[in-house]
Amino acid sequence: MHISEGILSAPVLTGGAIFAVAATAAGLRKLSPEKIPQAGLLSAAFFVASLVHVPIGPVSVHMVLNGIVGLLLGWAAVPVIAVALLLQAVLFQFGGITSLGVNTIIMAAPAVLCHYIFKPFLSKNHTIVMAAAFACGAAAVFLSALIAAAALVLTGEAFREVSAALVGAHFFVMIIEGIITMFCVAFLKKVQPSMLNLG
Amino acid sequence: MGSDNLVIKLENIFLSYPDGRNVLSDLCFELPKGSRTGLIGPNGSGKTSLFHLILGLVPRTSGSIGLMGQEVETEKDFRQARKKINLVFQNADDQLFSPTVLEDVAFGPLNLGASTAEAKKIAQKTLKELHLSGFEDRIAYRLSGGEKKLVAMATVLAMDPEVLLMDEPTTGLDDVTRERIINILNSLDKTLLIASHEYDFLARTTKNIYKMEEGRIMFAGDAARLHPHYHIHEAGDVPHQHS
Amino acid sequence: MISEIFAFGSSPVHLLDPRLRVIFAVLFSVVTAVSNLFPTVCLALLMAIVLAVLARLPFRPLLTRLFIVNGLILFIWLVLPWSYEGTPVFSMGPLVVSREGICLSALITIKSNAIVLAFIAMVATMPVAVLGQALDRLHIPQKLVHLLLITYRYIFVIESEYHQLLRAARIRCFTPKTDLHTYKTYAYLLGMLFVRAAARGERVHQAMICRGFNGKFLCLHNFAIKQGDLAWILAMTTGLIGLGMLEWARII
Repeated sequence: MHISEGILSAPVLTGGAIFAVAATAAGLRKLSPEKIPQAGLLSAAFFVASLVHVPIGPVSVHMVLNGIVGLLLGWAAVPVIAVALLLQAVLFQFGGITSLGVNTIIMAAPAVLCHYIFKPFLSKNHTIVMAAAFACGAAAVFLSALIAAAALVLTGEAFREVSAALVGAHFFVMIIEGIITMFCVAFLKKVQPSMLNLG
Repeated sequence: MGSDNLVIKLENIFLSYPDGRNVLSDLCFELPKGSRTGLIGPNGSGKTSLFHLILGLVPRTSGSIGLMGQEVETEKDFRQARKKINLVFQNADDQLFSPTVLEDVAFGPLNLGASTAEAKKIAQKTLKELHLSGFEDRIAYRLSGGEKKLVAMATVLAMDPEVLLMDEPTTGLDDVTRERIINILNSLDKTLLIASHEYDFLARTTKNIYKMEEGRIMFAGDAARLHPHYHIHEAGDVPHQHS
Repeated sequence: MISEIFAFGSSPVHLLDPRLRVIFAVLFSVVTAVSNLFPTVCLALLMAIVLAVLARLPFRPLLTRLFIVNGLILFIWLVLPWSYEGTPVFSMGPLVVSREGICLSALITIKSNAIVLAFIAMVATMPVAVLGQALDRLHIPQKLVHLLLITYRYIFVIESEYHQLLRAARIRCFTPKTDLHTYKTYAYLLGMLFVRAAARGERVHQAMICRGFNGKFLCLHNFAIKQGDLAWILAMTTGLIGLGMLEWARII
C-alpha cells in the first residue's frame, strides 16, 4: 500500500520522512551485521510475495503482508520495508522519493505494532494462534489504510472522501490478508517454527 | 606419512541435527597435502554437512578436527583456517551475494586485508586466469548458470587457498562449463577434495576416491579404476568377460 | 517478471555520474512535490519530459509504467472533483463537480507525472547495483545499503523460485478462484517462499563467513565527476532555480 508522488502536502511529507528516518535507525540498531543476509533474503521474499496477485471475485489484489513481516522481524521490519519500498520505486515506480518516508510509516508502523500485540499469542494453542494470525494480518492492513487516510486528510480537508473511500476499498483486502496470514503462520509453525522464534 | 603432512585430519567426528538424526557418526578422515581426492555418496549422505563442519560453519557434536596441522576449536581458529582452506558451495547463487562480479571476487581479498586497489587487482587477475575477463561489471543476476559457477570459483580462488573443497561442482551445468571446470581444476596446484556423485567427473579430476556411507568415509580405490560406464553388450546374453 | 528495463543504455543521462543523478532526482522531486502553482508544475513536467527524451527511454514500457501510476491518480479523479466543495461547474443529479476539485486533481496529476517521469529518467536509468554504490558514497548508512543490495541480488532468485512453486501447483490443476482453497494454497506457497529464503539467508551468511566476512561491507566503485557532469549540474540547477522562482518569487 502506498501513496503516489505529488499528492501529499509538504508538512505531511516532512513529518513522514522524519518519523521514517527515526524508525529505520531504530530498526537498523536491532539488526546486527551478521543478520543482514537473513533480513535481506526475507526482504527479497516479501518483495516478491507482495507482487503476487490473489483473485477476489472478478478482480485481483496484490498482497500487502506487513502483518507477517512484523511477526517475523519485529523492529527490523522497518528497514526491510523501507528497502522494499525503495526497490518498488526504482523498479516499478510505485511511490517515489518524496513519499518514501510516509509510505514507510504506512507499512512499517502497523507491522511493528502488530508484532508486539499478536506475537505473544503465537505460542498458545492452535485455535488462538489461528485467530491471532488472522487478526494480525487484517489489523496490519486496516492500520495501514488508516495511516494513509490520515496522511491524506492532514494534507487537506478536500481529501476526506478520498480517504474514506481508500479505507473502504481495503475492506476485502483486510479479510484476505487475514486469511493468508493465518494459513501462512500455521504453515511456518509446522514447517519451520524457528522462524517465529518458537523453538 | 607424518601427520604434519595432513591438511585435514578428522577423528571420531559425530554430527547430529537438532532433531536428533545422526548425519556423521564416528567419522575419521585424513587428507594429505597435495592430494586430489573425490568423495562420492548419495544425496543426503552428509557430504555438505562434512564440508560445513570442516569450515566451522556448523558445530560438531563431538570429535576433533585438525586443519593445516593445527587443532581447531574456536571460531577464531576456524577464521585462521579459512584463509588456507576454502569451499565452493553447491549453489552458486548462495555464494554470489554481491551485486556485481568484481565486488564479489574482491570481497574475500578485502577481508584478508588487501587494500581496495590490491583487491581489485587480485580480482581482475583471478577473472583473467579463469578466462572471465570482461565480466567485472556484469550484474550477478544476469549471469547464466555456468557463468555463475565459474565466478563462484573465482571468488574462492581469489583468496588463493591451499586446499580447495568443492561441493557438487557439476550440478545442473552444461557440458561446456563442465569441461572448463575440469580444465581449471586440473591446472590448479592445490590440494583438492571434491564431493560429487558423478564418477566420470571425479575420474577426470581426482586420484583417490572415498565413499560416504552411513555417516562415515571409506576408501573406495584409485579413481582411474573405479568408475562405472554404460555400454552396450554386443554379445547380448552370451556370457562374456570384461578386460 | 522483475526487470530493470530502463537501467542499461548509453544515452547522455545514462553516462552521468550516478551520485549527481540521485541528488538531483531528490531535489527535483522535493521542489515539485511542494509546489502548488500551475506554471511551476507545468515547467517541472516539461523538464521531466526533456530528461526522459535525453535518457532515450523506450517508449512502450514507459507508457505502461505511467499508465499504472495514473491508475491511482484516476481514483482521485473519481472522487475529488465532486467531493471538493467550491464553485460548481456542472452537476449530475446530486453530484456537483467543483472547479476547485478539478483544478486540484489536475495539479496532482501533473505533479505526480512530472516526478515519476523525472525519477525514471534519472534513477531508474541505473541498475540498483550502481544505485547502492552511489548511496554508499552519499553516506547512507552502510547497513541499509547492504540490506538494499542483498535484497536486490536475491529478488530475481526468489522470483524464479516462486514461479517454480506456482508451476508445481498448476501442474496439479490448481486454478486460482475466490475460495478458501485458493487462499490456503497461496499462503502455503508464500510460507514455502519464506522458509526457503530464510534457509538461503543462512547459506549466504555461511558463504560470507567463508570469505572472511567481519561485518564490514565495502563498495568498490569509484565515481568521478566528468566534464559532461558539470554542464548537467549547471542546467539542472538553473532549472530548479526557475521552478523555485515560479513558485515563490511570483515573478509572473
